[in-house]
Amino acid sequence: MTSAPYRVLLEALDPERRRGDGLPDLERTPDPWESRMQATCECLSWRGTLDNLDRRLAEDALGETTYHDFPVHARSVVVTAHELLDRGAITEKELEARIAAVRARLTRD
Amino acid sequence: MSQTHEHDHEAHAPIQSASQISEFEVLEMAVRELAIEKGLFSAEDHRRFSEWAESIGPSGGSKLVARAWVDPAFKERLLADGTEACKEVGIDWLDPTGTGTPSDYTYFYVLENTPQVHNVIVCTLCSCYPRPVLGMSPDWYRTPHYRRRLVRWPREVLAEFGLHLGPDVEVRVHDSNQKSRFMVMPMRPEGTEGWTEEQLAAIVTRDTMIGVALPKADWTATSSPSAG
Amino acid sequence: MNRRFQIGDRVTVKNATTMFHTRTQAFTRGKSGVIVEHRPDWVIPEDEAWGRDTPERGGRDEPFYVVRFKQKDLWPNYTGFDVDTLETEVAQRWLEPAKEDQQEGTP
Repeated sequence: MTSAPYRVLLEALDPERRRGDGLPDLERTPDPWESRMQATCECLSWRGTLDNLDRRLAEDALGETTYHDFPVHARSVVVTAHELLDRGAITEKELEARIAAVRARLTRD
Repeated sequence: MSQTHEHDHEAHAPIQSASQISEFEVLEMAVRELAIEKGLFSAEDHRRFSEWAESIGPSGGSKLVARAWVDPAFKERLLADGTEACKEVGIDWLDPTGTGTPSDYTYFYVLENTPQVHNVIVCTLCSCYPRPVLGMSPDWYRTPHYRRRLVRWPREVLAEFGLHLGPDVEVRVHDSNQKSRFMVMPMRPEGTEGWTEEQLAAIVTRDTMIGVALPKADWTATSSPSAG
Repeated sequence: MNRRFQIGDRVTVKNATTMFHTRTQAFTRGKSGVIVEHRPDWVIPEDEAWGRDTPERGGRDEPFYVVRFKQKDLWPNYTGFDVDTLETEVAQRWLEPAKEDQQEGTP
């Protein structure tokens, strides 16, 4: 696990919404994409790419340091992406391109 | 670029404006699509796990507790073999793979609160949580802020949730560091005599089954009694 | 493997140093508690982490136990009450019979 942040991941953070300390919002309801992300995490572990325990430990380490400003509920997606980049399973260019394509697809009129 | 077709609900979702879609949602989709294209897992794998993820929630746990409150024989079965008793409310810890998920294992124990003992759960190592009965863990449960502090200063952390217990009540912290998964069975509050199982389940919230809250006869988990 | 400890036995968590993949928390090392339950024989986490997650793959099965500690024994200056406890699961290899003159572990 590398500790330097990936620029492509930092760009996902809305600068207006930095995370404070203390317990996160107790009553926030998760968005549907969050359970899709949990499913992705289980699949990556089940099929051997990224073990759940390693990922959870990385979420703790990176979430408290490198990606400290990200909301807690985004840790799984940001840190999973970080780990996949670290391991060379995906490249930064591929991820940037796919992010752009997904965004375009979702906002197309 | 071809759009993935495994999620019909996405293909027919209304097109949203850019401000309504968070960058994290975009990132989730990008990661998943790339992972599938590279064969890290299949679309079918993801469909199975996401259906499972969408099917779980705290209503499962609430049903277990409510039934235990009204049916002493069920309560005995639940305390003796949590995994097996879950099947009686339609929860199978072997889902969705037939052997469980990589995170949750299949050793489930229910911890009964008594006037002498108040149980509360945590996983200091990695935030293990009984997802088949409670759904996804809340954000705060996963933070080092909760995990590190609950084991050392449990009463202070409970106080932050508004829960205060006297010196004669044993606060028993369960750190689920191995394969077991736990859920708390809170005590049935006064003022609920004659209630149906459904009414009782409505006051058994997720936080009461983690152990950071107590069920209240004058409060319900959801605004609509028919909601899951 | 035979069960070495019975419910009610007082045990101490070994202070063994380990570099990899153990699930035995630092805060329990050198601390004493009581066995309150047996758990099944499981493959030890130290093997599981290396992919030896079943006996067929070389994973070592071992009895596990639930150990209950008094919080005041775990933490110096514990701020709660004397009745408070913490329970966690420990593999047999990490346990030894509690010595009557066992010193409290370093914080």
